Amino acid sequence: MTPILQHSSFDWALMIDKRQKIIGEDRVLFEHIWKTGKGFYITISILGALVLWGLYAYVTQYRTGLGVTGLSRQIFWGVYITDFVFFIGISHAGTFISAVLRVLKAEWRRPISRLSELTTVFILMFGVGSVLIDLGRPDRMLYAIRYAHFTSPLLWDVCSITTYLTVSSISLYLALIPDIAMLRDLGGKREWFYRILSLGWRGTEEEHRRLDKAIGFVSVLVIPVMITVHTVVSFVFAMTIQPLWHSAVFGPYFVVGAIFSGVASVIVVMAILRKAYHLESYIKPIHFNNIGVFLMAMTLLWFYFTFAEYITVVYGNEPVHMAVFWSKISGKFAPLFWLHFTLCFVIPLPILAIRKYRTIRGTVIASISIVLGMWLERFVIIVPTLTRQRMPVEGAFYVPSWVEWSILAGCISLFMLLYALFTKVFPIVPVWEVREGREKASASVAARIESYMPETGSSRD
Amino acid sequence: MDFDRRGLLKVAGLTLLGLSVKPGWQVFSNEEPAEPSPDAETLARKRWGMGIYVRKCWKEEGCRDCIDACHRIHNVPDMGTLKEEIKWIWKAPYEKVFPEHEFEVTQEDYQQKPVMLLCNQCDNPPCVKFCPTRATWRREDGIVMMDFHRCIGCRYCMAGCPYGSRSFNWRDPRPFIKKVALDFPTRTRGVVEKCNFCVERLAQGLIPACVEACKEKALVFGDLKDPKSEIREVLKFKTLYQRMPELGTKPKIYYIL
Amino acid sequence: MIMYDGRKIIPGLILFLGLVTYPVWYNLASGKSNYVPKPKVPADKKECIEPKEVIRINHKTLLEDWRNSVVRNAGKTYVAQNKKKYTMSLNRTCMNCHKDKAEFCDQCHNYAGVTNKCWDCHIYPKQLEEKQS
Repeated sequence: MTPILQHSSFDWALMIDKRQKIIGEDRVLFEHIWKTGKGFYITISILGALVLWGLYAYVTQYRTGLGVTGLSRQIFWGVYITDFVFFIGISHAGTFISAVLRVLKAEWRRPISRLSELTTVFILMFGVGSVLIDLGRPDRMLYAIRYAHFTSPLLWDVCSITTYLTVSSISLYLALIPDIAMLRDLGGKREWFYRILSLGWRGTEEEHRRLDKAIGFVSVLVIPVMITVHTVVSFVFAMTIQPLWHSAVFGPYFVVGAIFSGVASVIVVMAILRKAYHLESYIKPIHFNNIGVFLMAMTLLWFYFTFAEYITVVYGNEPVHMAVFWSKISGKFAPLFWLHFTLCFVIPLPILAIRKYRTIRGTVIASISIVLGMWLERFVIIVPTLTRQRMPVEGAFYVPSWVEWSILAGCISLFMLLYALFTKVFPIVPVWEVREGREKASASVAARIESYMPETGSSRD
Repeated sequence: MDFDRRGLLKVAGLTLLGLSVKPGWQVFSNEEPAEPSPDAETLARKRWGMGIYVRKCWKEEGCRDCIDACHRIHNVPDMGTLKEEIKWIWKAPYEKVFPEHEFEVTQEDYQQKPVMLLCNQCDNPPCVKFCPTRATWRREDGIVMMDFHRCIGCRYCMAGCPYGSRSFNWRDPRPFIKKVALDFPTRTRGVVEKCNFCVERLAQGLIPACVEACKEKALVFGDLKDPKSEIREVLKFKTLYQRMPELGTKPKIYYIL
Repeated sequence: MIMYDGRKIIPGLILFLGLVTYPVWYNLASGKSNYVPKPKVPADKKECIEPKEVIRINHKTLLEDWRNSVVRNAGKTYVAQNKKKYTMSLNRTCMNCHKDKAEFCDQCHNYAGVTNKCWDCHIYPKQLEEKQS
């Protein structure tokens, strides 16, 4: 049964001791890689089935044409373009929590930086995918690069989203390297895989310093890219002369909406991972509380931009603009408009503002409400304008078909599937960053605060 | 400047900055520069425009001569539903075309009367600006062209056009074409199409099909640069209307009431 | 050298190689590899707009150039190597002589596994006759 023990001089005891040294007290952070429970398999099966269903819906669309959707000559952009803006919006999460908080030296970001970066990198692919799904001739998608025409905001989108995806992927990978090295040292079946990816990381002081510098550089770089990305996405609409699209406030409005929906979705992801992988001692109520306070600020900021946008329309009182406005407030789109307003503002604000309700459960409820509300917000921005272009109205109404809903479900499921598979290969909480926080953070924070204080022993008298 | 690595980077940076001036200028300039072509000079000698005598359309109730002629020779399909319809030239009620003429006491004989609409062949077309692959462009003679081979079907041009002149092929159009005309190709699913001012007929020296088909001679077509052309006669009218001229698109279709 | 399970591996390897090379030896054995596509050349015309060898290799690029020229640059006249002028048109120039797509174009295209999308939109002469009959 164990011929190996007899033939080799392998010292099991030494190996187990070495492994224990690497794992330390953070065993739970590695366990989700090694242990796969029944719940995981059930989740994967359900997600896999939804992905296959979405694929079937897309194949139907590819064979027949976009006529299988609810789109029409009048309203030719609908769920797919909403998905595009929505997914790109959610991608701002990672950058905010990982990059911005790192730059601001907030120590509490440590356990959650990787899970938010991962959200960014994976969801960006679906943002791009949504546009490609929307194309009439997807076999010609590379013409946008081969025959690129730079007066088109869609091209600016291609450039900025590619840059964002590249920089975010680099940022994710750099922060992964020390953990990959740890997994390599633990040995086992996948050691060859981790050895290649770890790039020979030894964990010396010099290497840590260089890594810190690199991550710092990329973090600072990704912040303006993040703002550019959603501004450029908003320019797709703002640069046209359609009523209620041609607005100067769209740039910052969309960026704020993106950070808003992104951070809310990260809270949902945090809550799920915390429960599923028993990370309660790492992802604590303080994380939800801090992000919850920030989310409350974003709720108010989102409301400010929405209010500014609509009040300028009302005071301008131009007939074409007012026609679209009334269709949103009291017309065909009123139910969706008021639903999204409730979900984005009325429900989250009291939960996030009142300390008693800003518990983990409260924050998660508010976040789910925000994520759903923000999808509706994108829909309510895009579709009503298309019903009242400055041309004779022909009364078409847009009802998305099963194909569009299936593809949306398929995209979200594939995102969750890829995410879950990632957690089977790499630790979702950055072990080295948590350890660095444990060992060095208190001292460095204390030193920093000390430097703020006035000099003692004055020589000014 | 020392010619080491830093010096090279400085020179390279300045060169790139200099090279980006012309494209940058083009991006933000207003009038769309036409696509350069070997026959550019020949084309630029003409500038096509169309005039429409609105009242002449009202003589025969339900007249569709121009629409049928255009859709027949260009293999425009009849998709059967409002959702997927494709139209290059069509009719709309007067008060929808010129909402600015609607006063509380608008003349009753204008109400609900049809007005012909087609692509305005603008001199500053938003659709051309927004196309990511330059599948649509403005030719030197003023016609906004469509290259069906290059269109990727993103429909951004449809979002840019304030007049709603463009249609999209939501599925394969061939089964929906009653009688296929050999001379002109059909389109595939997934591309945008619109009126092309009958470029293929103009190349043979003919006038557009809609102009030819109109019994009342309500459509007038010609070269705006030629002082003796019919269209220039039309432009001598004191009152001409265009659709939403305040948007700055500089349309080339003139309406005479 | 000892090969463990050699009795199973060697026959399995031979079977695998046989299956993988099936297309090659089957075509050789059955004589199908001797098939040469025979496109029907028009009886009355002696030459194409370019020499046969040239146009056989280059007709795809030629047609793409024609397409760009006619659609995007408004240039309609092609000057061939023999200095003659032709109209740049698939239907009016090429299909004028090579009337039957199935007997000419498809002969080589099917053999070589080439699919082109030209006929998704353009209409070859016989297609109308087929539709009307």
